[in-house]
Amino acid sequence: MPTDISHIRNFCIVAHIDHGKSTLADRMLELTHTVEGRNMRAQYLDRMDLERERGITIKAQAVRLLHDGYELNLIDTPGHVDFTYEVSRSLAACEGAILLVDAAQGLEAQTLANYHLARDAGLVIVPALNKIDLPAAEPDQRADELAKLLGVDPDEILRVSAKSGEGVQALLRAVVDKVPAPTGDAEAPLQALIFDSAFDTYRGVITYVRVKEGRLPSRATIKMFATNVTSEAEEAGVMAPEATPVDALGPGEVGYLVTGLKDVHQAKVGDTITLAGKHGAPQPLPGYREPKPMVWSGLFPADGSDYSELREALDKLKLSDSALVYEPETSQALGFGFRVGFLGLLHMDIVRERLEREFDLELISTAPNVEFHVFKGADEIVVHNPAEMPPGGDYDRVEEPVVYATVITPSDYLGAVFELCQSRRGEQVDMEYLTPERIEVHYVLPLAEIVFDFFDQLKSRTRGYASLDYEPWGYQEAKLVRVDVLLHGEPVDAFSSVIHRDKAYEYGKRMTERLKELIPRQLFDVAVQAAIGSKVIARETVKAKRKDVLAKCYGGDITRKRKLLETQKKGKERMRRVGKVDVPQDAFIQALRVDEKAGAKR
Amino acid sequence: MTDAGVYVHVPFCLTRCGYCDFNAYEGLDALKPTYQQALLREIELAAPGWAGTPFVSVFLGGGTPTTTAPADLRALLVHLRDRLDVADDAEITIEANPDTVDVDSLRAIRDAGFDRLSMGAQSFDTAVLASLERIHQPASVRAAIAAARGAGYDNVNLDLIYGTEGESIESWERTVHEAIGLAPEHISAYALTIEPATPLGRQVAAGTRAAPDPDVQADMFQIACDLLGDAGYRHYEISNWAKPGYECKHNLGYWERRPYLGVGAGAHSYRDDVRWWNVRPPEAYIETVGRGELPIGGSESLDPSDAYLEEVFLKLRILEGVPASWFEPDRYERFVANGLLEDEFGQLVPTERGMLLLNELVLGLTA
Repeated sequence: MPTDISHIRNFCIVAHIDHGKSTLADRMLELTHTVEGRNMRAQYLDRMDLERERGITIKAQAVRLLHDGYELNLIDTPGHVDFTYEVSRSLAACEGAILLVDAAQGLEAQTLANYHLARDAGLVIVPALNKIDLPAAEPDQRADELAKLLGVDPDEILRVSAKSGEGVQALLRAVVDKVPAPTGDAEAPLQALIFDSAFDTYRGVITYVRVKEGRLPSRATIKMFATNVTSEAEEAGVMAPEATPVDALGPGEVGYLVTGLKDVHQAKVGDTITLAGKHGAPQPLPGYREPKPMVWSGLFPADGSDYSELREALDKLKLSDSALVYEPETSQALGFGFRVGFLGLLHMDIVRERLEREFDLELISTAPNVEFHVFKGADEIVVHNPAEMPPGGDYDRVEEPVVYATVITPSDYLGAVFELCQSRRGEQVDMEYLTPERIEVHYVLPLAEIVFDFFDQLKSRTRGYASLDYEPWGYQEAKLVRVDVLLHGEPVDAFSSVIHRDKAYEYGKRMTERLKELIPRQLFDVAVQAAIGSKVIARETVKAKRKDVLAKCYGGDITRKRKLLETQKKGKERMRRVGKVDVPQDAFIQALRVDEKAGAKR
Repeated sequence: MTDAGVYVHVPFCLTRCGYCDFNAYEGLDALKPTYQQALLREIELAAPGWAGTPFVSVFLGGGTPTTTAPADLRALLVHLRDRLDVADDAEITIEANPDTVDVDSLRAIRDAGFDRLSMGAQSFDTAVLASLERIHQPASVRAAIAAARGAGYDNVNLDLIYGTEGESIESWERTVHEAIGLAPEHISAYALTIEPATPLGRQVAAGTRAAPDPDVQADMFQIACDLLGDAGYRHYEISNWAKPGYECKHNLGYWERRPYLGVGAGAHSYRDDVRWWNVRPPEAYIETVGRGELPIGGSESLDPSDAYLEEVFLKLRILEGVPASWFEPDRYERFVANGLLEDEFGQLVPTERGMLLLNELVLGLTA
């Protein structure tokens, strides 16, 4: 029997990374006896090994808790800026949100950003301080801060320790009391929101849904609005916390649906499921958006013969990752590979790590870049790869994506934050004192600047105290140029970069100096140049090799000498040729790795 | 039968030098008598396998062979002539270090039958000798050469090493001039090579000492080519120069891929595309031979591609060159164009710049 709609509460937990969301979820599972103590394990809901190790959640999950005759559906949300859209879809499945703040750390940028999302989605906010038992906790101060933000009385801020369980009962009670029951008409045409989807090797595509209107029967012919795909659904159920089939999911309920589909791209997050045929709803639910890659990078197998393995691995990952896009790319420096689009840097790291770990591939990746829009006359070219950018400024203008960034920092570091944002071409929008010691600053910043080591810099300049969140803010014209790196006059595609004119020289100098160290001496002088179009902006020379011979070669040396030559010969065979220059692939990899170290980190 | 050579290894040194990775030991002098016996015994064991092979050279190397008593040297040579077919006019070389010889000992060695003397001079710069951990002084070299002449030697080689840390271009020029001034018949000049398994190699790996700068060594090589050429020495192998007619027959045997028999600890032998080598530690060598067994430590058979590769790089080393007809033109034309090879009537011969880049030439030609 479906639960009476008045006894359903759908809620999520909004929190900054490390503020204890997963631990709180664990305690709730225990206190409601959803999971018995002996079966409990830390971060129960984070299913993939990768998630548990990284301590982050990348797949939203929904679990049903039964408490005092109420059905509480806890919808876990992703905790990273890459997944803002997924967060917004999870929020759309809820009526309320616990705003969980670390009693020692206080508000962070991510908490604020997600709070704003939740508030804008019309959710009732249940504020709570976590980790009140920590020696460094300052619950009174934090409660004031939070109360000011929410415009409530500090007494309304609940205090819990997710670790010990203290206050968690009261928090559950507050969810029941404050979060409204969902509304919905069981007789209306079906509208079920997909807020997550996953791929199971045996069962195919499984979607996590929130039924808004109508009933979702266990077996039915369903239709996806965005993709207009129909399918025979095989099973509906709830996570309690393991999958438990039900006859139907009623309005207001949250559960899973085994869709009968074989490709997650047919059941996208944010899409609406209805019934096929005349019983279907005429309209989807609002808010669907195609996943849009924000960051691009070339991925190449370190061993060129692994290309087909890489393709198969990407094909497989794509089944469970609807945001992943890729197209084949050929680089003369790195061979055959793919240009892959990611939601953000974390998504990129996760995909790379899964490719390396689950498919045992060794990968080389080019420095990540954003998508540029290049305009010439009436034409617009969308550039995902710097090598596709028309060289030498043969265009009218270029636009790059910008983001609206929120930084929360202790006031002591405000100067450092300004300096960093300014040096990254940021434009300040406004700032606000949360408390006398903590400030919220908003900047519009080019995404490209964030992709390159911004977060690391922010952390190091504020001793780790500042936090960052950002959301896409459209495109903006910028003085961008394509810088090519040339070896003996031949461009090396893997090192082409689209970069702001003011930073072109610095990049060119860095790359030419680095390559000079990595490229072995040839039989002739090799010019290593950085150029914008035909204009050289930096140059180094790898001097011709003059001596490569063994001084002594007598009776006992000949075997050794021959083996040395054979080794050298094998090394030569593995070299890549750029024009006339032989370069060990390792040199490219190292040059790219150093850049990676300097840049792209969360 | 192809002319062959015999190499006899003496692994004893007064002191070990920091750069040397040869099979040589200091402080093992107590083994000398049994080692001498083992050499004689090995010659007996090996001789049947070399029956009918004419030997045109004997080379006694080390280590420091002149630490061996002249009577033992004589006995060794008598034994070789007794058991093997050593030609009457064979070239018979002994390596010597300055300070281990004087006119009397050299006379005794010459009387024993060693008519070619190879002297480890290395440098005429005191600082360079110290850096190489050589125990002699420049004056000792001059004295040793005078002693050799006094003892009647008319075929003398001087070994030189260039590119030691702290050695300047000017110092090297002086060393070459000094060497020429002593008028040896033959000069070997080697670029210092850092071998990992030596004290010097470990210092370089640890960063406590600079590795030789290959560009400086290239300049020094060019100086040697120029000065020695002007002084009438013919450059006949990358690191070897000789007055006409004084090329080292024994070493040419290695480079021309003629057979050689190696006797002694760690010595290599070669015949008919098979190379084998003796066990390296003198104790193990003595023990194995004592049991009446050939002290073979390992061997390899050269397949045709191995043999071809050796043929190419050895022929290029001795500046005889290789026939252009062995290669597709696009393999060698660029080397001729950039001045690393000369095409002398269908024979590809390395230029002086080409010699320094011999590995590149070999790889480019045979890849």
